[in-house]
Amino acid sequence: MLLKTETYNQQSNFVQYCRDGKEVAILGTNPERLPHYRRLVFNIIKDTLETTFPISFKYIDTEIWDEMVYNYFSSHKCNDPQVWRMPKEFVDFCKAENYTTKFNLPFLNDLLYFEWLEVELYMMEDDTYPQVNSTKDWLKEKIAVNPEHKIIKLEYPVHLEKPFEAANKKGDYFLLLFREKETGKVQFINLSVLFTFLIENIVLAEKTLEEIFNDILYIFGINDLEMLRSEVFKFLEDLKTRGFVLGVHC
Amino acid sequence: MSIKAGIGFRKDFAEEFLSGSVLKPGFLELAPENWMKIGGYWKKQLNQLAEMYPITAHGLSLSIGSPDELDMDFLKNVKHFLEEYNIEIYSEHLSFSKCDNAHLYDLLPIPFREDAVKHVSQRIKQVQDYLGRQITIENVSYYTPVAAEMDEATFITNVVKEADCKLLLDVNNVFVNAFNHNYDAKTFIENLPLDHVEYIHMAGHTKVSPSLIIDTHGEAIIDPVYELFEWTLERVNQVPVLLERDFNIPEMEEMQNELNNLEAIMTKKWEAKNVIENRNI
Ligand SMILES: [Fe+2]
Repeated sequence: MLLKTETYNQQSNFVQYCRDGKEVAILGTNPERLPHYRRLVFNIIKDTLETTFPISFKYIDTEIWDEMVYNYFSSHKCNDPQVWRMPKEFVDFCKAENYTTKFNLPFLNDLLYFEWLEVELYMMEDDTYPQVNSTKDWLKEKIAVNPEHKIIKLEYPVHLEKPFEAANKKGDYFLLLFREKETGKVQFINLSVLFTFLIENIVLAEKTLEEIFNDILYIFGINDLEMLRSEVFKFLEDLKTRGFVLGVHC
Repeated sequence: MSIKAGIGFRKDFAEEFLSGSVLKPGFLELAPENWMKIGGYWKKQLNQLAEMYPITAHGLSLSIGSPDELDMDFLKNVKHFLEEYNIEIYSEHLSFSKCDNAHLYDLLPIPFREDAVKHVSQRIKQVQDYLGRQITIENVSYYTPVAAEMDEATFITNVVKEADCKLLLDVNNVFVNAFNHNYDAKTFIENLPLDHVEYIHMAGHTKVSPSLIIDTHGEAIIDPVYELFEWTLERVNQVPVLLERDFNIPEMEEMQNELNNLEAIMTKKWEAKNVIENRNI
């Protein structure tokens, strides 16, 4: 390498100082000016995280939040060159550090993940929409859906309640998030287990709606097919209005 | 070519750009890092803007002064972005923002040293080879030198010459650095390879103490920076000029006034120069 070790060391020390704020000897620097770098760099990280996780930032005690952010930036090496994607690394970091237990915030992993997903879906590259036909009978066809979506499972209902209230309601929560084509806005819908099964199978696009009905009857032990149909059709119509169900595959 | 100044594109006033009712920039500058590999609402906005304005790209994360290896995946995405939007000018900062595989997302000063000159120029060449074009490197503002063994102007000049790249001359940065490090701004500019200047930045700054200015891009351009700009234009070729405003965004009329001020100076200096040059022919 053309760069001498001594020069590299100065750059490395400079960066380490910006990351953890701990005093370190750096050749030929003005000690009064150095803290400005620490402040400017740290503010970028702090602001980006606060903007990406507004709910977490609002409800988590400021001292705890600051400690999480400090630990993250000083010990984690941010890997993504696109700063808006960097908060994804914060989600993974908090999980790996087991902050749910350390700071007694059971909802933390779910809330950070949920808030990140909203940003990720909002920003993600456009996916190819399927060719659809809107006139055919749904039952005999494979339902086509908006490809810009995610189905996730949470342990705490952070999408429905304030974080500390959600913390008392541990369970299995399924959630569909998708990006509206026209507005680009991200919507989320709480799903029952049955509807999760339904949507996951629709997304696979391997079976007609009727075949999925048969699976549901069998797996969930349901006898009343008419009632199931009417509930599912109501649900799918609603998803169509919202821009998730597009029609049927051509 | 009509003499128009451009402006740094910010999401805060995207609607304004699309309606074009008050702000009338000649072109827009944006950071590829914020716009590549995205979709949805902002991609649509970007596509519309690209139909209306020429675009220049001003990068943030290439980290040309980094001791680390160049991130070729990142560069591949930049290349794709430049091609997708037909972008002619790709500029980056003569600084580093990543070291030991950690991104800091800010502009840190490179040690003004001979080995760093060689290292940085070799990296610029590598980027230019990969992109198949010259890139434009900007003089940055800095608040403390780091392990410097030469002055800043010598460092910039040596890098630009050795790498055979273009120079983005940020006039406000020169002013800020001259104040913060007690040197003469005009002498500094005279010492730069002015024939390499391809692009100019203008901005406002914030004085945080009697001896320190921070390059915030959060205030209006002050008169001494306009004066330095006017003086500079007599010494460089006619190139695009950009107004940077990132914080403390004022009324659109106020920003358009700044663009008008810049364009008036550009017209005065460059049209006069064109007339003289044409007479000489
Ligand atoms: Fe600049």
